[in-house]
Amino acid sequence: MATTSEQLPAFSETQSKIPWYVQDLPLYLKGFGILTVIYIGLRLYQGAFAISSGLDSSEPAFEEYWMRLFYIELSVLAIFVSGVWGYLWISRDRHLDTLDPKEEIRRYFTLTMWISIYTFAVYWAGSYFAEQDNSWHQVAIRDTPFTANHIIEFYFNFPLYVILGGCAWLYARTRLPLYAKGVSLPLTLAVFGPFMILVSVGFNEWGHTFWFREEFFAAPIHWGFVIGVWFALGVGGILLQGVTRLTELLDGLEEAP
Amino acid sequence: MKTLIIKCLMALGLVLSVYSFNVQPVMAHGEKALEPFIRMRTIQFYDVEWDKQKFNVNEQVSVSGKFHVAEDWPVSVPKPEASFLNISTPGPVLIRTERYLNGKPFMNSVALQPGGDYTFKIVLKGRLPGRYHIHPFFNLKDAGQVMGPGVWLEIAGASANFTNSVKTINGELVDMETYGLSNGILWHIFWGVLATAWLLWWVRRPLFIARYRMLQAGMEDELVTLNDRLIGKSILIGVPVLVLAANMMTVNQYPNTIPLQASLDQILPLSAQVNAGVVDVETLKAEYRIPNRAMMFTLKINNRSDKQIQIGEFSTANVHFLNKELHVPSQVGSESMTAPEGLSMDNTAPIQPGEQRTMTITATDALWESEKLDGLVRDADSRIGGLLFFYDEHLGERFISSITAAVIPKFN
Amino acid sequence: MSVNISNRSFRPYTGEKARITRAYDYLILVLALFLFIGAFHLHFALTVGDWDFWVDWKDRQWWPLVTPLMGITFPAAVQAVMWEKFRLPMGATLCVTALLIGTWIARIFAYHYWNYFPINMVLPATMLPGALVLDAILMLSNSLTITAIFGGAAFALLFYPSNWPIIGMFHVPVEYGNAQLSIADLFGFEYIRTGMPEYLRIIERGTLRTYGQYATPLSAFCSALLCTLMYTLWWHIGKWFATVRYLNKI
Repeated sequence: MATTSEQLPAFSETQSKIPWYVQDLPLYLKGFGILTVIYIGLRLYQGAFAISSGLDSSEPAFEEYWMRLFYIELSVLAIFVSGVWGYLWISRDRHLDTLDPKEEIRRYFTLTMWISIYTFAVYWAGSYFAEQDNSWHQVAIRDTPFTANHIIEFYFNFPLYVILGGCAWLYARTRLPLYAKGVSLPLTLAVFGPFMILVSVGFNEWGHTFWFREEFFAAPIHWGFVIGVWFALGVGGILLQGVTRLTELLDGLEEAP
Repeated sequence: MKTLIIKCLMALGLVLSVYSFNVQPVMAHGEKALEPFIRMRTIQFYDVEWDKQKFNVNEQVSVSGKFHVAEDWPVSVPKPEASFLNISTPGPVLIRTERYLNGKPFMNSVALQPGGDYTFKIVLKGRLPGRYHIHPFFNLKDAGQVMGPGVWLEIAGASANFTNSVKTINGELVDMETYGLSNGILWHIFWGVLATAWLLWWVRRPLFIARYRMLQAGMEDELVTLNDRLIGKSILIGVPVLVLAANMMTVNQYPNTIPLQASLDQILPLSAQVNAGVVDVETLKAEYRIPNRAMMFTLKINNRSDKQIQIGEFSTANVHFLNKELHVPSQVGSESMTAPEGLSMDNTAPIQPGEQRTMTITATDALWESEKLDGLVRDADSRIGGLLFFYDEHLGERFISSITAAVIPKFN
Repeated sequence: MSVNISNRSFRPYTGEKARITRAYDYLILVLALFLFIGAFHLHFALTVGDWDFWVDWKDRQWWPLVTPLMGITFPAAVQAVMWEKFRLPMGATLCVTALLIGTWIARIFAYHYWNYFPINMVLPATMLPGALVLDAILMLSNSLTITAIFGGAAFALLFYPSNWPIIGMFHVPVEYGNAQLSIADLFGFEYIRTGMPEYLRIIERGTLRTYGQYATPLSAFCSALLCTLMYTLWWHIGKWFATVRYLNKI
């Protein structure tokens, strides 16, 4: 997903059946596939071990099955973020002023795919595992910030979508002229706002530790998460930025059958 | 792509299979995280019994017991003006069919009185087979969950055989497991189909760039056609009509419905069972020796009964320290929370009728540490509370006193 | 930032260009679907939350007030972009459909399969009829004011009657433990939840709440007024977030 203008393929020579503007479609679909396997895998893990070893954080089994998973998650995420952000930055396009319009169109499609992968991760974090957290609090009594669902929701899902949002932001910044020239406000809002949800975890755990013992989901203690997710509406601005630029580029493109 | 997913799933399966060899089910439910002063000085459970621990799906099981609401209620915990007698289970593997406080059935939350004594009984019915560790406990508003003693329950049979029929006031027998489910699903599908049709009506034509360009070119009128407007008008009229008609049909079908019930039950405590005025105990001092895991109480005891009495047990936060000299019966089915030789005293002679004695008793066991009760010495509220059980010479009559004191730690 | 295209010189894209724009449509639709499932569901779960999760929270006072009020937010914000920039009157329906997809998946796979709650105890509410009407009013009126007043009000007023066919039967009374309970209350009593004691329910609170048993219409009309305001507010929030500005630095 990260071709630079120095390595541009000659579109007419491409043998692929995939149209040139969606060259990254296979990678995109693979991304969906890998994420699906990871999230379903984590849910299966919860189904297998949460009730047998995840009800009490003071038990040795909890350390073995859940805290170990937590450390593994952090390690995997640390490696992934350094690798992918590092790669996107190092392989940045240093000659954006000479970018071919067709390549720019293709990159807009790839940026949209990155954002789509980001929103897929937002789905798992904001929808499934988030509401599942309420369900788990009806089974286990909260005795640690690292419950069998928090270990996945707060310490894997949240950082992962932040990383993927960061990928989209970096991709745009390093490969698309308009995004390189100025900092896109809606893209920044859509990535940095939900990032604040991760930060809100601290507030949530502080509140639940010191002054809020009840599992009432709509409680004000949770509204930090809510405000963070409103920023996802920045995607509307990203869409408009994409549509206007693509229109300009397409208007300048020669007609093709 | 498919190969990649298969590989990932296989790797995952391998990880899961390695893990599944050796999972020891846990015995606790997070209660140790609650501050010791809350566990020791709010709801003090005792004499908790289960009528059986092995039973089948659909079979009933009951847990009954007593509790004393501590007089020395922690200042940081709201008073128990709303509390809920609950059962900690890993989901509704059992259902709660009956619940009594002081012999009275109650369905909602209840106000408790500090210093009050209560008996309780909860009747449950097996729903999902398995082996579960279950506690009765209290949800205390804004304070958290205070656990009673836990036991293992084994439910045999098949979950498919579970039934839960309830008779309505109108005499209709309903199955709670499926009641209203297909009706709810049907309505969601009905509106879902209409919504999907509306979305597809728009999505089938070129969307973002195409429409944006047309709008910019001032061709707004072409973006919403006559057909679109016709469908819009149909929605505007048809949807509210459908909604109101369906609502009316439901009202006619269920003419006698009631709002959700939201009362707070008021059940008065029993006559005093603890601190009943027969044996008075004043705690002069409490000292916790950390290296020995020993809590030492200096007590002033006034035996106003007409019997010789001896201390048989000190109990706090479901941990029982027994006087081995007395062979008192264990209060719980599980031995894990009992220190059978945990209670010793500087004067083992029985306290005579009418005698006043100042004596020292020591509750010693690793349970102070393993149950995280020793965390008290690092809490902002480091007062201890618990129940002291006295027995007459035949172990026939029992007198219970609640004791409380600030704890002084001894680090060396 | 916009593109100037005159009416006279306008030519629709054909051939490859048309295919490119269509491919872009599909990508955006996939992106938007997951975005709104994730974002709207999180917003909804943490503001409406237990009123939507449990059958014994769906009362006649707070549930019809809180749910439309919190539920009209994302639809208004998304309509602001979808209608103003693309004349697509499907923002509300898209958001509510996305929400229901996320909700149903969670109710089945989390509450039921993981934690054994019967699904009828956790049936979600529907706001789809209100969303359809909201989209239709916007399309027909092409007016923020009219949509806010009539659409916002309809969104709130239609909520309870849309859901009564689903939850009405859970309000049939039973005699249980020397008390009268609705079947919904009985679900809360029988199916054990360790973190949801009965006292936590915010239902039927306050004095004079029934005004002669007219609690629901009063709540619905109060919600209608608030939804009108909320709709306008969130329309502008949606527009504000859909900025196309580029900054010099962050």
